[in-house]
Amino acid sequence: MTIRNGLELSHAYVPFGEKTGLEDVNLQVARGERVALLGPSGVGKTSLLRAIAGLGKLSSGTVRVDGRDVTAAPPEGRGIVYMHQSPSLFPHVSVLDNVAFPLEVRGVPRSAARAAATELLERVRLRSAALRQPSTLSGGQRHRVALARALAADPAVLLLDEPFASLDPGLRAEVRDAVVDLLERGDGPAVLLVTHDVDEAAGLADRLAVLLQARIAQIGVPAEVLACPRSLAVARFVGLPNLMRGVRDRRAVVTCALGAFDRPGPPGPVVVTARGGALRVRARQGGATIGTVRGLVDRVHGTAVRIDVDGERLLAVPELGLQLEVGASVDVVVDPTSLHVIEEPADGD
Amino acid sequence: MIGARRDGFLLAALGAWVLTPIAVLIVRAFAQSWRFPQILPDATDAWPALSAAGTGRVTSALIASLALALATGLFGTVIGFLIARSAVRVGRRFQQLTLAAAFFTVIAPPIALGVGLQVAVLGIGLGGTFTGVFLAHLVPVTGYLTLFAVGVFASFDLSLEDEARTLGASPWQVLSRIVVPLLGRRLGEGLILGGLVSWGQLAITLLVGGGVVRTLPVELLSMVQSGNDQAGAFAALMLSLPPMFAIGLLTVGARRTGASL
Repeated sequence: MTIRNGLELSHAYVPFGEKTGLEDVNLQVARGERVALLGPSGVGKTSLLRAIAGLGKLSSGTVRVDGRDVTAAPPEGRGIVYMHQSPSLFPHVSVLDNVAFPLEVRGVPRSAARAAATELLERVRLRSAALRQPSTLSGGQRHRVALARALAADPAVLLLDEPFASLDPGLRAEVRDAVVDLLERGDGPAVLLVTHDVDEAAGLADRLAVLLQARIAQIGVPAEVLACPRSLAVARFVGLPNLMRGVRDRRAVVTCALGAFDRPGPPGPVVVTARGGALRVRARQGGATIGTVRGLVDRVHGTAVRIDVDGERLLAVPELGLQLEVGASVDVVVDPTSLHVIEEPADGD
Repeated sequence: MIGARRDGFLLAALGAWVLTPIAVLIVRAFAQSWRFPQILPDATDAWPALSAAGTGRVTSALIASLALALATGLFGTVIGFLIARSAVRVGRRFQQLTLAAAFFTVIAPPIALGVGLQVAVLGIGLGGTFTGVFLAHLVPVTGYLTLFAVGVFASFDLSLEDEARTLGASPWQVLSRIVVPLLGRRLGEGLILGGLVSWGQLAITLLVGGGVVRTLPVELLSMVQSGNDQAGAFAALMLSLPPMFAIGLLTVGARRTGASL
């Protein structure tokens, strides 16, 4: 199937040095959609983006933009803008001329290009910096200018390579907000962004694509990828804290440290996963699995509890106001429907 | 204190070592005669040197040298920068090969390089012509400039070119609007460096030019061989002026841009 609007990558093989880095990558990103490519360092995320932009090569496969095959087109003829991790603003011209650049190289008269660039700078709240040199801008401002410049090119596809990696946490939020504000839905560009920050990707993207071992291991909406990883490798990569050994019997009952529940499938060893928030800890009342508190973890979003349940080390959320001590016994409450089963044995099984 | 005094002494020694030949040339250019064991010449008279330097032969040699320096500097800069840019972009192995080839033209004895170039230029029927000498000079000039430009591109942010391309700029627009403006000073330095490499060539010019193409170094050699030391010293001073001028120009340029020489 060919999508009429946006990016379509079919059977793409991306070389990595003299070896094949990525194999048989198939990906579609519609106009106005944001897809995040996740993967460990060195898996080939940047090589893939560069190949899509025409700055690197595909061993085989096709790249289509708005239905047009651009596999052999030069970078300037693809309708794809590629933004580096650290925005490469042209240091010898002003901020305004940076943003006007894509228009001027397309033949738009200088005055019209500068007027359009001024409007874009207004959208990123940097109109007052129009005549400044890029070297005088802060990291966040440089990213916003680079975004405005990218949009001045009116791309069909926007590729963002680790757009927040070079920023400290405070500036990350500023630039992330700018990305969300600027990138329109509907007819806006198809956005493919590379990151290794799962939370950031889940908060920004409509879909996540996890690249592992040279292939797209799983693609789907964030809730699906994070709650229902297709493999142990994906579960580990997205950082699921609760991975338990389990076994399914012939009656399709899966038994793990948290109890037994029905889940159809072939009998044999499995891995049971649960997101951190799916497990709750309360004071001992009975009628629930018993766990032992191993420690508390203070995080930005609240405190979590490390517990041992039948030899499994799990992470759970304490009930509001619960006083916990290391070594104390607690009830571990879980909704069986929030447990996910991965059809492969745990390591060592 | 001892360290500062030692540094000062070493600096003075270096200065004397470097400047002595120039000082001797200046004195000799204005001396009627200057023979051992005289410390300084008895009488000075610049007229013979000036009249020798003002002859048509020297003037045309000067023009030939300037034309060669300008042409090879210009072409060498373009070629050297293009080779270096490709070498930096393509990869480490190609870069090492390029550097080795460029370095060979710099360290090879000029007489050996000259013999090879003589055979090559004669083979294309350009022996004894200005064009042949220009092509021959271009070889060491391009070598020097490739080495220089690889260093320049090593600190050049190539992602600027990548982003410019995806923003819609053609390779020519990237070159004219991004690369050349950003490397303007370095290109100027390359032009001067290339010109100076050509300016001092003697062995290659003699071998390829066959005595027909007469540059300032060729005329200088002729003067010295014929025993006209005073005129030779004057011509040698003329030959030394452009390098001094270049150092001054580059220093001023570096001060203006806040860079180091």
